[in-house]
This record gives sequence, structure tokens and C-alpha cells, in this order.
Amino acid sequence: MRFSLPIFDIRNLSLQIANQTILKNISLQIFEGEYVAIIGPNGGGKTTFARTLLGLQKPTSGEVLIYGKPIEQFKNWEKIGYVPQRATLTDKNFPATALDIVKMGRLANKGFFAFYNEEDNNKVQEAMEKMSVWQLRERLIGELSGGQRQRVMIARALASDPSVLILDEPNTGVDIISQKIFYDLLRELHTNDHITILFITHDIGVIADDITKLITINQTAQVCTSPKEALSCEDMSKLYGVQAHLLANHRKGDIC
Amino acid sequence: MLEYDFMQRAFIAGILIAILASISGTFIVLRRYSMIGETLAHASLVGVAVALVAGSNPLWIAVLFALIAAWLIELLRDRFELYSDAVLSILLSGSLALAIVIVSAGGAFNSSLFSYLFGSILAVSKEDVITIVIVGGIALVAILANAHKLYFIAYDEEVAQVSGIPVRLLNFLLVSVVAIIISLSIRVVGSLLIGALMVIPVTAALQFRRGFLATMILSLLFSVFSVIGGMTLSYFFSLPSGATIVLFVIFIFIISLLITKR
Repeated sequence: MRFSLPIFDIRNLSLQIANQTILKNISLQIFEGEYVAIIGPNGGGKTTFARTLLGLQKPTSGEVLIYGKPIEQFKNWEKIGYVPQRATLTDKNFPATALDIVKMGRLANKGFFAFYNEEDNNKVQEAMEKMSVWQLRERLIGELSGGQRQRVMIARALASDPSVLILDEPNTGVDIISQKIFYDLLRELHTNDHITILFITHDIGVIADDITKLITINQTAQVCTSPKEALSCEDMSKLYGVQAHLLANHRKGDIC
Repeated sequence: MLEYDFMQRAFIAGILIAILASISGTFIVLRRYSMIGETLAHASLVGVAVALVAGSNPLWIAVLFALIAAWLIELLRDRFELYSDAVLSILLSGSLALAIVIVSAGGAFNSSLFSYLFGSILAVSKEDVITIVIVGGIALVAILANAHKLYFIAYDEEVAQVSGIPVRLLNFLLVSVVAIIISLSIRVVGSLLIGALMVIPVTAALQFRRGFLATMILSLLFSVFSVIGGMTLSYFFSLPSGATIVLFVIFIFIISLLITKR
């Protein structure tokens, strides 16, 4: 039994857009220290679910509580780091260096005169060093590779000292080697920095064995606290509607 | 030429407007909102038309009409989810049509309206300069105080929102400040030309592919240089000032394109 307050408490969440059901009666909780993967087919509602958690999409019914507060009353947004789906597909001509982008992460809850102080600069450097992008700070964001951009975006999310990191399809436009580095970094953030991780993917082949909870979303949600059990061929076939063959545990090599 | 009072006033007003237009223009261009300058300039022309017919001071009525148009644009974009460029286009032509109908019906279609279309920098009064300094100064502080947040919104509006940035409020602030800056500027540069001063220096600066601060400073320098260059040429060759400034800034844009050609 858990006694800690859930970071996200989702209660009977349903969402319809233009009379089409996107999410249906979802109730689940995400606790501090968890490493959660959200999987499901394209168009199954994963991104909409994440957007609803973040207040970017209003549910038709039900509610989302963040740290016990209804989303409209939640103010501590610096605790939530968000890396959206298209983050690596940035406008190549946007006049921003990697440093400009990461600094944006320090703007949460700043008042009318929002200027950077020494603490901001230190936190930015710390986040960029953690993501190994400090040496790229003067480079334009459009000149970086997909993997480098991905790490800059995560550094921006980390700059606000978040306790939870939400990543939506984080590997869009990223090569295989960078993906491997990315999963190692996530593991480090979760294990060493105790950051709760919630990442969304449609690529079930990349699910690491680090995850503590697996949520499958295809309109409705199914929560499995034992990810390996959820990655059975039968469940995956149901979720994706096709015969699934997947690498259930890519480090241990259990193939289903 | 600077021994004449009217030229001193013209230079002060022109340089102030160049600073205001380029800094606010940076955010407008990055948000793919370049047409808003043109649209709000035409909306403020409706205010000028009303004032000319009523025989009152056009500046404040122009500010009022530009503000109403700016808020209407935000409302239509936000609530009705219309395409931004379509909204801007509708309001631009609608405002111009309304301004022409008002002055024609009121019998005020004369050279005064003409000077607001193309600007009359050489007829800038001392009161105009004082108004631009005070109101423009407040507008500039409002933008600079929120520059980092506006930049974040321009880069990614949704992530800015999730980071706790009051996106709606700041969008509203930006269009309001732009509306005020444009209303202040049409006396000097003209409603048909002010959009150019907001967009072209920024577009020229973007060619140099630098970060945020460097791009903003470059755009400011191009804008101020164009106003000084354009006004000097207009003085010595008896050319219309607003149009000469715009041609000068286009010249800088072409040079920027050529020297940064990749």
C-alpha cells in the first residue's frame, strides 16, 4: 500500500473531440520515483492523454489532480519538465543557440521583470553538463543533430529542477546510437537524481527493463505494475490489433 | 540639415520609432505574425478617419481603434481557431474599406488622410515627439521586461504554457503594445509603410543566423540605420521620407541576403 501523495491522480478521465471518443474513463495514479512508459498504437490517444495531464487539453469529464491540486489551481509548474513530441523537429532558422533554449527552462514562475540571475546561469550550466551539451552552448539549435537537439530539450526541462519528466515520443528524428545514449541518461536521471520519468512511445521494441509501470493506452488505459507481465504477446496483439512479436526485455533478452 | 528644428524632431521621432518597431517586430516575425503590423496600421487609419471627420486629435482615437482590432484578432484566433493570416487579411481590407467610407461620407477625403497613409515625418510636432517618448517608452519597457518569456512563447507556445508562463496574457500584451507602437508610428512613417519597418530589419537580421540577443541588436541597428539613411536621402533629394526609409531598409535586406548567401 502506498502512502505518498501521487504526482498525477487521474480520475474517470474521458475526452471526446468532435463526437469522437479519444479517451474513455481512465483512472490511474503516478507516484514519485516511478519510471512509467506509456505505449499504444498511433492514434490511440497517448499524446492527448499527456496533453490532458499537462492542462493543454480540457477533459470532457473527470479530473486530473497534480500533487493533490486540481490542475487549474496547480502553480508549481517548475516541478514538471515536458519534452513534446516535435521537440527535435525544430524550425532550423529560429535564432536560438542551445544556451538560449536551455535558459527558457528557468522562466517558470518568474514575475513581470523576468531576467536571469546567477542561480539561473548555474542551473542552466548544470543541466547542460548533465546532458553533455555544455560544449554546444553557442551553436544554433538548427545546426545540431537530432540526438544533440533531444539532449538540449531535456536539459531545458531539467533546468527548472523538476521532480517529474514527461517525454512524448522522445526519439522522433534520432539515430539509434543517440537513442542508446538517451536511455542510459534517463536511467541515470531516475536512479541518481530520483526524477520520476513518464515517457510515451509507440515503439514497443525500445522499452527498457528499467520501467516500474507500464500504461497501455488505446482509448482506455490498462496499468501494469509488472511490465514484463504486460508485455505478453496476447496483450500486445489486443492493443495493436495485430500479431505482435516483440523484445520484451531488451537487456535480458527474453523474447516473446 | 540638423540646424532646422523640424529636422531634429523628425530624426528623434524616426529613431525612436525605428527602435520600437524593430524590437516589437522581432517577436512578431518569429511568431509568423508579420502581417499584423499592416493590419493594425489600417485599423488605426479607421481611428484617423473618425477623428478627421469629427475634427479631433487623431492619435488617441487611432490608438483606440488599433487596440480594438488587436484584441479582436487575438479573440478570433484563440476562440474561433481561425487561421491567423486569414484573420489578418480580413481585418486589413475591412479596416481600409471602413476608413475610406468614413472619410468620404464625412467629406474629409483630403491631404490629411493622405499624410497618414504615407507618413509626413517633416511635419512632426513637438507634442508628437513627447507623446512618442512617453507612450513608446512605456511600451518598450513592457516588451523588454517580458522579452525572455515572449521569446519562449515564439519558440514553443505549448511548452511555455506548461512551464507556467501566462501565455494568453502575454499574447494579449504583445498585440496591445504593437497596436500602440503602430498608432504612434503612422504619423511619421505612414500606415502603408510601417509594417515594413517592423518586418524587414528583423528578416535581414535573421539571415546572419545568430542567437536571440544578437538577432535583436542587429535588427535594431538595421532599423535605426535605415531611418537615418532614408531621412538624410529624403532631405537632400527632396524624396518622400516614409517611402525612402522603406526602400533603404529593403536595400539593407538585399545586402544581408547577398553577404550571408550559403
